[in-house]
Amino acid sequence: MNTAQKTQAENKAAAPPLPGNVSAPAGKRPYASALGPIKSGGTIIGFALLVAAFGLMRPDVFLTFGNLRNVLEQVAILAIIAAVQTVVMVVGNFDLSVGATASVSGAVVAQLLIAGQGTAVAVAGALVVGALVGAVNGYLTAYLKLSAFVATLATMTSVSGLAFITTDGTTLFGLPQGFMSLGQGRWLGLPIPIFMAAAVALVVWFVLRNTTIGRRWHAVGGNAEVAKLSGVNVNRVRFLAFVVAGVGAALAGVVLTSRLASATATSGDSYMLLAIAAVFLGMTISKEGTANIGGTLIGVGILGVLSNGLNIIGVSTYVQQFLTGIIIIAAVAFSRLGNKGVS
Amino acid sequence: MTTTIQHVLEAEGITKHFDGVFALDGVDLRIRPGEIHALLGENGAGKSTLIKILTGVYSPDAGSIRVEAQPMAFKGVGAAHKAGVVALYQELSIVPNVSVAENIVLGDELPSRGGLVDWKELRRVARKQLERLNQGHIPVHRMAGRLTPVQQTMVAVARAIAVEAKVLILDEPTAALTDHEIQDLFRVLRSLRAEGVAILYVSHRLEEVFELCDRATIMRNGTVITTTEVADTTIDEVISTMVGRRQDELFPARGVPGPGTAVEVAGLSGRRVKDASFSVRPGEVLGIGGLAGSGRSELLRIIAGAQRSSSGRIVVDGQECSHRTVAAALDRGIALVPEERRSQGVVLSQSIGENIAVGNLKAISKWGLVAGSRIRSLASNSIAELQIKSRGHQQIVGQLSGGNQQKVVLAKYLARNPKVLLLDEPTRGIDVGTKSEIYGLIRRLATQGTAVIVVSSELPELIGLADRIILMHEGRISGEVPAEGADEEQLLTYCYGRAAS
Repeated sequence: MNTAQKTQAENKAAAPPLPGNVSAPAGKRPYASALGPIKSGGTIIGFALLVAAFGLMRPDVFLTFGNLRNVLEQVAILAIIAAVQTVVMVVGNFDLSVGATASVSGAVVAQLLIAGQGTAVAVAGALVVGALVGAVNGYLTAYLKLSAFVATLATMTSVSGLAFITTDGTTLFGLPQGFMSLGQGRWLGLPIPIFMAAAVALVVWFVLRNTTIGRRWHAVGGNAEVAKLSGVNVNRVRFLAFVVAGVGAALAGVVLTSRLASATATSGDSYMLLAIAAVFLGMTISKEGTANIGGTLIGVGILGVLSNGLNIIGVSTYVQQFLTGIIIIAAVAFSRLGNKGVS
Repeated sequence: MTTTIQHVLEAEGITKHFDGVFALDGVDLRIRPGEIHALLGENGAGKSTLIKILTGVYSPDAGSIRVEAQPMAFKGVGAAHKAGVVALYQELSIVPNVSVAENIVLGDELPSRGGLVDWKELRRVARKQLERLNQGHIPVHRMAGRLTPVQQTMVAVARAIAVEAKVLILDEPTAALTDHEIQDLFRVLRSLRAEGVAILYVSHRLEEVFELCDRATIMRNGTVITTTEVADTTIDEVISTMVGRRQDELFPARGVPGPGTAVEVAGLSGRRVKDASFSVRPGEVLGIGGLAGSGRSELLRIIAGAQRSSSGRIVVDGQECSHRTVAAALDRGIALVPEERRSQGVVLSQSIGENIAVGNLKAISKWGLVAGSRIRSLASNSIAELQIKSRGHQQIVGQLSGGNQQKVVLAKYLARNPKVLLLDEPTRGIDVGTKSEIYGLIRRLATQGTAVIVVSSELPELIGLADRIILMHEGRISGEVPAEGADEEQLLTYCYGRAAS
């Protein structure tokens, strides 16, 4: 009840029920649309500038096939998590537990393999764990109406604990060779995780765009009250988004374990904030400021290129982290600037 | 220029329009110091917009406001506050989780000593203000949220006089109060009047206005019709001034309802609605009138499955329905076009096609897959049929005019071919031309056999559009009349819950 009502209340606050009170007065539109193209293209231009800058600084290294392949390989796991985070953010929520879910799933798959299970069973087990975490998040958020922040912060904490329990605080290794090909194998000269990330992104794109559940996700995220009054089961739709996020995060955890040939209780943790950052960067690309998979991939690309490029020109990881934050602020602040006239 | 201040507040030629529709058109309002001035008008007459302009929430498109002959700058609520214009809204007037004393000094500089709050001084100041209102018994250290409603109102008034308000605006201050508490409030307001504070009093309760107020300004359709001494007029005269003339030419000819019953409601109760019973025939347009808060919207929401009922039943086509969700009601052929277009009707950031599609996903999908071509054809049909002025189905709804947005909402629900169509304020805030189109559309649906229920705050709309009108007062159905030849004043007396003469 709360979430729906809150949305409604917020909407009411933004738009008092007055005669003909309709979005921006006509006079303000030109201002917004004048900045619009720059704004929505800004992030993409920024991405291109970033690539160009690193390319000019170290043409011998940065723009080589080998390095670009490296970038793609490095961002593949982030791309999977960011893609499913996009789904949750389309619905108007977010999931802080995706990193911890990736960690625990990576640990689960490793433990199952060490226990002698086949690859298929082990991977399925990890995905089920992810789905369960997602279901808990979804239940807390959609049905018990906890705020997504509180609910997923709490599950993140508990799930992280489960990851430590699963690994017993150690690094799990000695995984079978067949499983390792998932993260380390190549196809057509490219690492398999790249294909997996592409497949996940493609599926998310298709589902968001062409399925009834995708349309419902958009509607709920656009305005939950409108969706409810249009006959959408808002709770179930929200719930499913979190389940998708859980499964996606679990898949990323499995790929990560395979790539590292080992699992620890915290391997996947750092992906959570990066994934949210990528979606936020991507939202600046859409004119309406909504989460979208294309934008998310560009966001992932920016983060990946930044990290890779700064490495190549020899900037320390501490400075990298500092710069990453600055860039996120700059991109999002810039897009808000252009939005002022509309909101 | 003048040395004596005759008016503490002078608003001249205030004009405001939203999206090309005038909410206020050249409104003049003059308030004298030490008077209680009523602002009256039907819902949608422009009272709220005017108050929001006086208090700096909106800036007007044209016109000027002078407070004590000084022009007021339109720079937000803070500027209006500084000029001495303070409004008390029904719900937002206090901060419930801090003490009474802090509520009264809220927004002022907290008295402090060496950077720490000087609680003693804070409470002394607060107590002084309450005593000025004869409300010294209210404990200043208590959490404001734990006071009774009237005490909360008193605290809000105390805050207003603490900032030396010259003009105090009260919007329906008695809605949550008992008769006894109302008298307490009136005593306080009269003593403020004696101190020279001007009070602008907005209320639907005309009896109160006649008991309390000195002068009244009556608005209709965004303009001021008259300002009069309350002693020189009567309640009936005020009502007929508020109502104005009819707009017969907007409405299509009435039809003939079919035989039988399309929907029947018996003993329906909810949070506000109490024991509502009525039925609608196929092809009939039933109008429901009543003041804001009379339970009209809740009644529709219950029938449409958007809200639970506590008792009663709903029968559609002879079958009792026990739907508890909008989806289930839609499946039974009941569709509700909701009251708030922007927050309940359309997703402003999405396209026309997406908005219409979300209410019709079953019809345009197979195995969970939505065919883009079917969204396109559904939306294009709607655009053509309802004459939605747009650049095509991909245009974002937020860019459309209010009337065209409303057509998109209608299209979403009409695509399901409902047997029972419920409309809550279907023409609020849209221009006259589009209004007329929507009336025509409603009548056309009725002619095809749809049972239509329309809730509206505008009585002329109900009289012109409906076949039959029921009126609600404080959750109950207080009257029923045939629409043809209905008398607005008679309807209004039902709305105010006064016995018909």
